Amino acid sequence: MSSWNIWSVPVVIISLIIIAPVLAIFYSAFLGDTTLWPHLFETVLPRYTFNTLILMLGVGGLSLVFGVSSAWVVTRYNFPLKFLFEWALLLPAAVPAYIIAYTYTDIFEYAGPFQGVLRDTFGWSSASDYWFPDIRSMGGAILVMSSVLYPYIYLMTRASFLTIPVSFYQTSQIHGRNTFWLVALPLARPGIVAGLALVLMETISDFGTVDYFALETLTLGVFNVWMGMNSLSGAAQISSVLFIIVVILLTIEYLARRNQRFHEKSSGQNNLEEENISNLKKFKCISICLVPIILGFVIPVSVLGNFVFRGFSIINFYEIIQTTLSSIGLAFVGAIFVMLISLLMILVSNYKSNTLQKSIIFLASCGYAFPGTILAVGIVVFVGWLNDNIYFHFSYFAGGFLILIFAYTTRFLAVGNGAIRSGILRVHPNLMDANKTMGIGFFTGIRKLIIPLIYTNILVGGILVFVDILKELPITLLLRPFNFETLATYVYQYASDELLEESSFAALIIILAGLGPVIFLSNTIKNISKKKQSNIV
Amino acid sequence: MTKKYIFILLSLIILNSNSLISKEINIYSHRQPFLINPFLEAFTAETGIKTNIVYSKTGLAERLQAEGANSPADLILTVDIARLYIYRDKDLLASIDSSLLKANIPSYLRSDDNTWFGLSKRARVIIVNKDRVNFDEIKKIEDLSNPKWKGRICSRPGSHVYNRALMASIIAANGEVEAEKWAEGLVLNLARRPQGNDRAQVKAIYEGQCDIAIINNYYFGKLKFSEDPKQREWTKNLKLIFPNQEKGDRGSHVNISGGGVVKFSKNKKEAIALLEYLTSETAQKLYGKINFEYPVNPSVESSEELNSWGVFREDRIPIVNIAKLAPLAQKIIDRSGW
Repeated sequence: MSSWNIWSVPVVIISLIIIAPVLAIFYSAFLGDTTLWPHLFETVLPRYTFNTLILMLGVGGLSLVFGVSSAWVVTRYNFPLKFLFEWALLLPAAVPAYIIAYTYTDIFEYAGPFQGVLRDTFGWSSASDYWFPDIRSMGGAILVMSSVLYPYIYLMTRASFLTIPVSFYQTSQIHGRNTFWLVALPLARPGIVAGLALVLMETISDFGTVDYFALETLTLGVFNVWMGMNSLSGAAQISSVLFIIVVILLTIEYLARRNQRFHEKSSGQNNLEEENISNLKKFKCISICLVPIILGFVIPVSVLGNFVFRGFSIINFYEIIQTTLSSIGLAFVGAIFVMLISLLMILVSNYKSNTLQKSIIFLASCGYAFPGTILAVGIVVFVGWLNDNIYFHFSYFAGGFLILIFAYTTRFLAVGNGAIRSGILRVHPNLMDANKTMGIGFFTGIRKLIIPLIYTNILVGGILVFVDILKELPITLLLRPFNFETLATYVYQYASDELLEESSFAALIIILAGLGPVIFLSNTIKNISKKKQSNIV
Repeated sequence: MTKKYIFILLSLIILNSNSLISKEINIYSHRQPFLINPFLEAFTAETGIKTNIVYSKTGLAERLQAEGANSPADLILTVDIARLYIYRDKDLLASIDSSLLKANIPSYLRSDDNTWFGLSKRARVIIVNKDRVNFDEIKKIEDLSNPKWKGRICSRPGSHVYNRALMASIIAANGEVEAEKWAEGLVLNLARRPQGNDRAQVKAIYEGQCDIAIINNYYFGKLKFSEDPKQREWTKNLKLIFPNQEKGDRGSHVNISGGGVVKFSKNKKEAIALLEYLTSETAQKLYGKINFEYPVNPSVESSEELNSWGVFREDRIPIVNIAKLAPLAQKIIDRSGW
């Protein structure tokens, strides 16, 4: 392995800058008073930790079921409307978690239409006549969060399924073995695990849903301690428990993968023939695709649409169009920046780094698992410190945007890294060595060989980051310049005053703005992964 | 000669008004833009001072602290005393000298060192279904821990800032031990796990899940005048109870929305002007009109609509004590599982 060189040194420095806000959180955690610990240990911390773990287990499990099963059937089988499902399965990614919790409550609580229909149908007259699960519960949270988070797994798994050499599938078929369990699943593992890691980190850092459902997770605890006890250090201490959980998770993932290879050595025919199946099987396939789409997209969108339709939402077109444009612009610039950094980091980590450098780069993506507001405070502290030492002469407005882009990098690097890493793992390590023997430089090798090979992954990552920034709330809310609104902050000012109806139009626009890229993404994956395969020797 | 003087006078006026127009103040606000903009627009129309705003629910104090002397902010606005006090606690506010503010705001609703000022009041009230509850049986907030209400009360989680402040007011009145007993009793009486927001509690009464709830008074108004006929329906058959009104009792707990001028503000004069404006009769009436809040200015009457819900006497404890007791209140809330 190469040691410190012209590539690894700057990348390690960038990583350290990106980790700095997280370090700032730790700094305030251990600087501040630790007198709260005994109280927290005695009262809430065990409960918070337990709930967080259950939530992660539930959301992780359900998202895996939704994501992997749907990715498999649309890749492997031929059934009606498949062309529609291929991209529709991504739609829930555009729905922010803080909105879906509200909409589900609206539908499934006692006064909601769902229970209303039940009561009318069965002639029940009051809540005591029947039992209905409470939507504001652990089960409810697992359901709504999985419904919007599974696309991470679907996307990365599908990209992996599509790039598995067809010969592998054929071999298993010749021997009459189960292709899904014995070939597809094991080979797609880097993609599945990368998606799962993102889902779990999103779950840990979620505040909107757990707050509305009053689920006492660590993230909610962070807020109670910070706001209730006026103790940022106490909050930071609880955040560090979150951090430890994430590091354990990522390490397990890393260790499990370390001794395995996933790169492709394919040749010959590359177009996977979709299997024709019986009608019963077709029905099963359609159901597998429909369930997550209905849960994660159709239900929340129809609730919002209904509010708009009934005229409760505030529709100020001029303001909304302006806000939409600034949201999209910001998300676009942010996504490009995050992906550039991600690409640099993963490539250098993969080809030009020793173990220590790898771990530093690896840690740079942990900002994803922190509650957004806490991370935002970490950024504020870090930037403030930087400003005291090296005074920036930016205007507040320009400075504000720079800080936002930096914040998004700290926050969403994990998404970009996950996407690119799962691509790099499939590239045979000999490729770069072969480059070297031909006297081709590192940069040229990357540009001409590696980037075309992992192009899909870069795109997947970029679009996920784009949609993530579009939905991002707590960081944008706190760090934005004066008089600057994104769609998410615009929605939030009403939602935070318990006025979901008023914000429903803007909320729909967030979803619509995310749709375009999501559909584009789906097509690109399908086309490029096939083209790419046939080009590889 | 006269022409020349007039010319100079005119140009002075123009210059002056120009400099007035170009004045701007930057606000860090915990109050949502759509609830504060009507005030700011009226203020700009009256004074020519432009306002810029960043709204966030959390973290603005930390942002201000980290920015230090480089901060562009001139004024902060909050919707509860706890967050207001955090700014004072971190020494981020300037002590300002304004006889107008002192005259317009009773002393228990502003800081004794003139760093922060209450601008409007919101009452935490008990709301009951008239058909199912004999509302004469609830006179005090303390009554909610009476076992006879077992399984009949709804509430949002205790950790919410408004409940925490209520808890603090009970600690202030009855002491920590009694307050904790009250919290435990309340939790035993809850019809369901604390959840949702204040609106959701009203809805739960309407749905029959419970008969009694604790909410901020203005949510009642927002629902009563909602565009959604369903929400208007929820408020029928409801009775607002302002607790602790009996002779000799302390009065109902109120919280404030408030503000203060940033220590490192470069536009203190204009920031003070806005604070003063917000306590003026026009603005004080606007609080009632826009958001069903009560004026702090004793010379301004509450709106007719507000008065129609009941006239009440408020707990006149120095509001700063509520903020100081908040951490203890949170501990009791954690222990009792509210």
